[in-house]
Amino acid sequence: MYLQFAWRNIWRNTRRTTVILVAVIIGIWSMILLGALMRGIAEGMIKNGISTLTGHLQIHHKGYRSDPAIEHSITDPQVVEHALNKVLPSGALWASRVRVNAVASNARHSSGVTMVGIEPSSEANVSFIGAAVYQGRYLTQQDQNGILVGEALLDKFETKIGRKLVLMSQDTKGEIASRAFRILGVFRAEMEATEKQFVFVTRKASQIMLQLDTGISEVSVMLPGKPDNPNAISELKAALPQDQFEVHSWRELLPFQTAYLRILDGFIWIWYLVVFVAMGFGIVNTTLMAVFERIREFGLLKALGMKPWWILREVLTESFLLLVTGMIIGNILAFLSIYILSRIGIDLSAFAAGAEYAGMSRIIYPAIEVKDIIMANGVVMLLGLLVSAYPATKAARFIPVKALAHT
Amino acid sequence: MKKNTWISLLAFVFISSSSPSTLALNANQLVEDSFNYVRGKASVSTVMMTIHRPDWQRKMTIRAWTRGQKESLFYIDAPPKDHGNGTLKKGREMWMYNPKVNRVIKVPPSMMSQSWMGSDFSNNDLSKSDSLLTDYTHSIIGTETDDGKNVYVIKSMPKPDAPVIWGMQRLKIREDLIWLSQEFFDEDLKPVKEMTTLEIQMLAGRLFPKVWRMRKAEEKGKYTLLNYKSLIFKSSLPDSFFTLANLRKPRR
Repeated sequence: MYLQFAWRNIWRNTRRTTVILVAVIIGIWSMILLGALMRGIAEGMIKNGISTLTGHLQIHHKGYRSDPAIEHSITDPQVVEHALNKVLPSGALWASRVRVNAVASNARHSSGVTMVGIEPSSEANVSFIGAAVYQGRYLTQQDQNGILVGEALLDKFETKIGRKLVLMSQDTKGEIASRAFRILGVFRAEMEATEKQFVFVTRKASQIMLQLDTGISEVSVMLPGKPDNPNAISELKAALPQDQFEVHSWRELLPFQTAYLRILDGFIWIWYLVVFVAMGFGIVNTTLMAVFERIREFGLLKALGMKPWWILREVLTESFLLLVTGMIIGNILAFLSIYILSRIGIDLSAFAAGAEYAGMSRIIYPAIEVKDIIMANGVVMLLGLLVSAYPATKAARFIPVKALAHT
Repeated sequence: MKKNTWISLLAFVFISSSSPSTLALNANQLVEDSFNYVRGKASVSTVMMTIHRPDWQRKMTIRAWTRGQKESLFYIDAPPKDHGNGTLKKGREMWMYNPKVNRVIKVPPSMMSQSWMGSDFSNNDLSKSDSLLTDYTHSIIGTETDDGKNVYVIKSMPKPDAPVIWGMQRLKIREDLIWLSQEFFDEDLKPVKEMTTLEIQMLAGRLFPKVWRMRKAEEKGKYTLLNYKSLIFKSSLPDSFFTLANLRKPRR
């Protein structure tokens, strides 16, 4: 009876109700959509970060993280390999790399790069480089002098496939090592910075150049399923000698992205609050108007014996119905727009330079998280009812004689 | 008559087809001899370096000691601001000394391609100066005349896996081993920079170019001049001279 009563009451003033309904719809829609977009950005960032030579977890020699010098390389990769085989769940993939800072130069240009010595076949499954070569070809085991460079680096160096690139770095004896490579392929990455920073050679070539023997800098692991797997990390830590190796999860390896994720949660809350404050005033205002319009009516109801509590409930039900209607439409709209956007994505290439500083992807695909949707709807419902409580108590407190005398 | 011409023509073809190998051998020898002629067994010199740019110019006096093909020590005398800055080069490695901070730093790979003291010479030009002898194959591609003497134009191509950035170098060396020019080309064989020598005269008892000029191919207004103020060739310098300890030692 209440529901029917309230529903009819809402639509006594169609225009006013429609206006506030639109406000609620827009509010909900923007909350969910923006939340999804931000999640999308964050997911893109993490995916980027993980595929850009991070992996879900990494194993280094002790001290490498604080000083990534060649002296801190893993001299005995057998031990690590053994532990990985023993501990990791089936389906886990890993790749070992040599990673050092180097200087690339040709006749006209030179620039600091990170030389990554990779095992071509295992690396292809672990990081982005396997699928990123768009011109020329990917490395094979035999390419002792082949090198893969990013498109941006290629442009910067005014060079092309087949040309020479000389890399210089410090070898294990502290002397300057240099080696000539020929550009075999060009890769594209999500970020220009990645294209400029990394050059890929075979692991063997880098080991010969740096006199590393069989030494490597890091092992990067991709786990099946979710990126976070504390079990695998603790098991690996237990399986490897503590005094020689360090195991880090991607959260530790990508501190910036991790911090951003944390800020994001706070940010979404702030956005919800802002939207709600704007919406809340509309709700209070409308409900208050509806109440004041009906002073005589409420007086009469009270005179007929309706308890104040019932009147309170009546008014609250009205705003509840208003909110629910708005929410249903708002959610439907939001899901629709997210669906469309997740198909085409939001192309940020035009602002790529600006977006890149944060490690954002060029195209954003919104991502829905149940937590966000529940939160958005919950916030609107709870706070909506809370602010309607004010006009509702006002209505409940009318004194019948005065109310009936009200003109 | 007709037969004779045929024979001489055949002979000519024969000679010219067999000559490249002997010439190539000569070319390697020529470059090395000329390199040694310039460096001597050991030398002590004072050089005025002029760095010229379209809107400014700067002069430095450098004192230099060299021994053999691999060792050298440079030390800046003037201007007072840079006085005492030293560079020691041994083989492929370089160290720099700055008296203001009293520190010797080993030039890291990242700095090797930067310019030396703001000039058009890069650290690599200095540290890898003997790379021309070890990383290239030389061949004579032509001759010119200069001052009544034969000048050999030598094409120097890097060996396939040699860690050098140039696509080619072209040298002009006079028959009396005087180095006339050295041009650096990229892999498209477009010129990148060029070193030429001027004012060839008697210095330290032998003919020697007094002025060396390094110039970028695209920017004619920018160049660096090295002008020998004094030059003495010696039979040797002591081992202790090319050491880090000596690099730090204050010199007047």
